[in-house]
Amino acid sequence: MATLWRALWSNHTARAGVIIVALFLGAISAGGMLMPYSAVDMDFVNLLAPPSLPHPFGTDSFGRDVLTRVLLGSRVSLAISITGVALAAIIGVPAGLSASWYGGAVDQLLMRFADLLFAFPSFVLALFLMVVLGFGITNVILAIALVYVPIFARLSRNLALMVREEAYVQAARLMGQSTARILGREILPNIMAPILVQASISVAFGVIIEAGLSFLGLGVQPPTPSLGVIMADGREYFNQGPWVLTLAGLFISFGLLGLNLLGDGLRDLTDPKLRERSGS
Amino acid sequence: MAWSRYIGGRLLTLVLTVLVGSVVVFLVMKAAPGDPAVAALGENARPELVAAFRARHNLDVPWAQQYGRWLADAVRGDFGRSLTVASDRAIAGLIAARLPNTLFIGLMALAIAVALSLIAGTVAALRRGKLADTVATSMAAVGISMPDFWLSYVLILVFALGLGWFPSYGFIAPSQTLSGALYSGFLPALAVAAPLAAVFARTLRTALLETGGRDYVVAARSFGFHPAYVFLHWIFRNALIPYITIIGLQVRYILGGVVVIERIFGIAGIGSLMVDGAFARDYPVVQACAVVFLVIVLSVNLFVDAVCSWLDPKRTR
Repeated sequence: MATLWRALWSNHTARAGVIIVALFLGAISAGGMLMPYSAVDMDFVNLLAPPSLPHPFGTDSFGRDVLTRVLLGSRVSLAISITGVALAAIIGVPAGLSASWYGGAVDQLLMRFADLLFAFPSFVLALFLMVVLGFGITNVILAIALVYVPIFARLSRNLALMVREEAYVQAARLMGQSTARILGREILPNIMAPILVQASISVAFGVIIEAGLSFLGLGVQPPTPSLGVIMADGREYFNQGPWVLTLAGLFISFGLLGLNLLGDGLRDLTDPKLRERSGS
Repeated sequence: MAWSRYIGGRLLTLVLTVLVGSVVVFLVMKAAPGDPAVAALGENARPELVAAFRARHNLDVPWAQQYGRWLADAVRGDFGRSLTVASDRAIAGLIAARLPNTLFIGLMALAIAVALSLIAGTVAALRRGKLADTVATSMAAVGISMPDFWLSYVLILVFALGLGWFPSYGFIAPSQTLSGALYSGFLPALAVAAPLAAVFARTLRTALLETGGRDYVVAARSFGFHPAYVFLHWIFRNALIPYITIIGLQVRYILGGVVVIERIFGIAGIGSLMVDGAFARDYPVVQACAVVFLVIVLSVNLFVDAVCSWLDPKRTR
């Protein structure tokens, strides 16, 4: 753990990522408490007030403080994205590991299905699922999971194929360990690093998927403040108060920049050969 | 010979994937809650109207038969009729009218992204570790982190509302005037292109640096060829393969981005058709759009693989 930390810190990209992510997480976890407003407090004297010292991101059409809403909304969006990506990893990684282990028909079937999901534009896939399941937070999570399942499945399969002939895996086989134990205790820990890299980048894109769906009105529904909901609000009165949408988006971009830099840095540290394979 | 057999095999896979994909899309749509007839006609519609509606839209027969009819029609270019969005108009007609707009914006975005990334990626690789490299790489990281729909609004704010150079809303179809389409499509295409350019530039930089260190490049240099010639002939040509591959993979992303961008700029494309269909629970429209997107992505992937295997014959094996 200590060596990983030192390696991260010595890599410029990763260090910038760690700092930005720390600032971002610090802001969204403490921010709501530091701000003197609540996300739903309305102030009819200050409707659509431009950014100022008491309201650094201005106020929206109900006089609600935009910064407070953005801080709370980021928490909602990030929680949705992390849950979706975690769900994708929980389904995708075991599927990929089994495909690599059993090979043959299982492998073919799982990977062709992953290819099929992979052939839809990710946003189209998410949109499609929202139509079938209906709108709302749970379904946004499922949509994000559906987008990332094939990516995790394929990545973990390819990584597992690289290590399955290693001596320690062979040794575990000869010792008669169960398949589940070999996959979970021998193979998984050795392919964990690239999976974590993919997860960190996926969380960043997951936030974009949530924001996009909610922005169109198909995702999280108001009054819950998610980043997409706040930006959709801001769109309604973009001409009178462009700061709502612009600053909310700037805040997301900042957080995503941190996650992407962290992912890039981790990738440099782990396996340079994986660079092209695990893209968005 | 090996090449054409390889492409033939890939073509067969494409057709099979589209078939399986359409079955999955069809079944999932059927599993959606709610009765399309009720969605279109309302709760209190007279039973005979509902029955007529169901018969007209093939909803009165078992699923397998519904799919069979849908497929038989789809192969002939008939995707059925819209339930709610454009009530009762042929979906194939809607798609035919809108697809050129989506493809136009997508291709324009691709052209912008390729132009930007060729410059940025090459400069970054040639000036590795220098200021130009740092600037290009940092801009790429920023580019990837911006949601495209947010970027659209920033572009609207600066170039349409602020400077007044471009329209903030509306799109002139390429079938009307090409110059109008290029002009009104510029901001939406740029919004889709910026994050893509970042991804492409990164890949190109890495590929150029990797090929730059290969033995044949060192050999070419030691023969005393001009550095520019070595770069173009040995390094650049070989770096094109990963570059083109990543472009092919990102087609999904372009189409996904276009879906949202079309709504923002008021472009009548199939992305906005699908979103409208999603809101109105117009199942056949959503289903047709999903299949059209699938066909586009798979065809582009096949095309890219064909180009790559032609550049690098080892791939056909």
